[in-house]
Amino acid sequence: MLLLLVPAPLTAQEDTLRIPTGVRLGLVYRPVYQPKVAVRPFSGPGELAEVATAILRRDLEYSDRFELAEAPERLARGPVDYKPWNALGVVYLVTGGLEPTGDRTQLRITLHDVVYGTIKQSQSFTLPPLDAADFRMALHAAADEVVRWLTGQPGMAASRVAFIRRRGDGGYEVMVVDSDGEGAQVVHSSANILLSPAWSPDGRRLAYALAHASGWSIQERDLESGQVQLVSGRPGLNTTPSYAPDGRRLAFALSSGSGTEIYDYDVAQRCCLRRLTNGPRDDLSPSFSPDGKQLAFNSNRLGQPHIYLMPAEGGEPTLLSPFVYGEPGYYTSPDWAPEGTLIAFHGRSRGEFQLMVADAANAGGTVQQLTQEGASEDPSWAPDGRHVVFSGVRAGGSGLYVMDAVSGRTRPLVLGGRYLVPDWSPTLLRASALAVRGP
Amino acid sequence: MMRQRLMVPALLGVLLLAACGGGQQEPETPTPTGETPPPRPGTPAAAAEAERQRVEAEARAREEQRRRAEAETRQRAEAEQRTRAAAAAEEAARAREIIAEVVLFDFDKFNIRADQQPALQRKVGVLRANTNVRLRIEGHADERGSIEYNLALGMRRANSAREYLVGFGLEPVRFETVSFGEERPVCMEKNEDCWQRNRRNEFIIISGEVGRTSP
Repeated sequence: MLLLLVPAPLTAQEDTLRIPTGVRLGLVYRPVYQPKVAVRPFSGPGELAEVATAILRRDLEYSDRFELAEAPERLARGPVDYKPWNALGVVYLVTGGLEPTGDRTQLRITLHDVVYGTIKQSQSFTLPPLDAADFRMALHAAADEVVRWLTGQPGMAASRVAFIRRRGDGGYEVMVVDSDGEGAQVVHSSANILLSPAWSPDGRRLAYALAHASGWSIQERDLESGQVQLVSGRPGLNTTPSYAPDGRRLAFALSSGSGTEIYDYDVAQRCCLRRLTNGPRDDLSPSFSPDGKQLAFNSNRLGQPHIYLMPAEGGEPTLLSPFVYGEPGYYTSPDWAPEGTLIAFHGRSRGEFQLMVADAANAGGTVQQLTQEGASEDPSWAPDGRHVVFSGVRAGGSGLYVMDAVSGRTRPLVLGGRYLVPDWSPTLLRASALAVRGP
Repeated sequence: MMRQRLMVPALLGVLLLAACGGGQQEPETPTPTGETPPPRPGTPAAAAEAERQRVEAEARAREEQRRRAEAETRQRAEAEQRTRAAAAAEEAARAREIIAEVVLFDFDKFNIRADQQPALQRKVGVLRANTNVRLRIEGHADERGSIEYNLALGMRRANSAREYLVGFGLEPVRFETVSFGEERPVCMEKNEDCWQRNRRNEFIIISGEVGRTSP
């Protein structure tokens, strides 16, 4: 009889010891060979060359696709001789030269195949002045181009992460930071709660939720002009906005009656609110598939929060996260990768939130648990489709971390504060925009 | 009555003569105007004066008694009013306390627990007695849930309390519901006691005056 009176702690204890059924520890992809790459210090005016080399080298390192080799002082200048680089085990060598022309600078980057002793690629990029706001982003775009030369795949250096900072005084900030953790800036500061920032697919706008004393609203901010538009300010919740890939429609959650449901809205025409879910409980946190035809979302229709898929116009939902009758389960915050069918989310495992990935093409299949240290929540995919940013607690502190879902390598992005609900932007600048014009 | 009145001028004449005819001048002590010097004892005038004084004293005493009685009545009324006001203020304070009493929830649950129902039932009495009062019900969650999901959970909690109150016949328009998820904790420690305090509904009076605790 006494035992019957205390079932709750037993269940809770069980929950903190086990990895849930249907979840397996591991990475999404198989580890692959990482060629050794060296970046020789760029030639050109002192500080400019130093800064440019450092940014590009670190971007290649943060791409997690290469093993970065040190460039020895004796090989730092002069004509490139492949033999000593080859002796160091370097497979690819990146060299660069900066040449100021007026208020701009030409950066010529050359990629050498050290093993074959040939030039693989060489291209000039036009950079803004060193002190210009977009100088770093231009170098990030150049770094992404080098990644593309080397791997044929997109990089993620020329991107930013939007997130929420909970201030110590109870206020909130919407912030953005470059993919390498530099250039953090406040977009919106408020004594009220701010949550759920979402990038528009063109990278020019941010939608987010803002609370006031009696309710919530969703705002859309133009990052260049600073202009703010109210998207939705209905009674109750207006939260978790997410853009469709066409940038015209915005899906979000509104509370209606006693529950929360997902709607979409034509932000381009400011019209046509449409209800997409009709669950008996709460549906929220929508995330579009890359083709815009499906939505991943969060629902507690089974009693516990789980991840579901449904057609983007609404319709029959499919359960994606592992549900085992009678077992505790808690899975929320889905984010569909920018390409393909992988969906990242977090779930409770051994008592803490950890990052997980499921395949929309294999609903009901095993879910991979990516992290197991500390706690990790609210993942968002980078435009390269292999890195995720998340809000985490680690031995090194709490803040935002970036994890490579291939190698498992994790690095801090911003630490030392309460940083939440990150959203990774699309690619913000392409190398084509830095093309040299004229002869 | 007639006699008394006639005697007064005569008396004044005597006094004037006495003053002027005196061998020596009395020192000039200022006499308050209209005040008569005391008559010599034993004279008929003195007897009349004494009688007059007695009558006056009696009148004064009566007046004094009347005033005192009045003051007592007033003080008693004031005291009663103060007591009543204090009782009313106390009742209003109690009513506000009843309104402000939080309602607690289990982890990831939004049903009104049996042990939390009395708190809501007490609110029903206050709301029935103060029909112009409107409330905002805030739903809150602890930090262990997901940030965004906790907003929906808080909304459920606020709506549960509203539905419970409406079930007692209170008009739904008297309640506004909002959720702040886990963003406005009352307790920052990482233990169950603290988490329990954060999984709550708060009730805020947004219009109307709270007076009585029951109809």
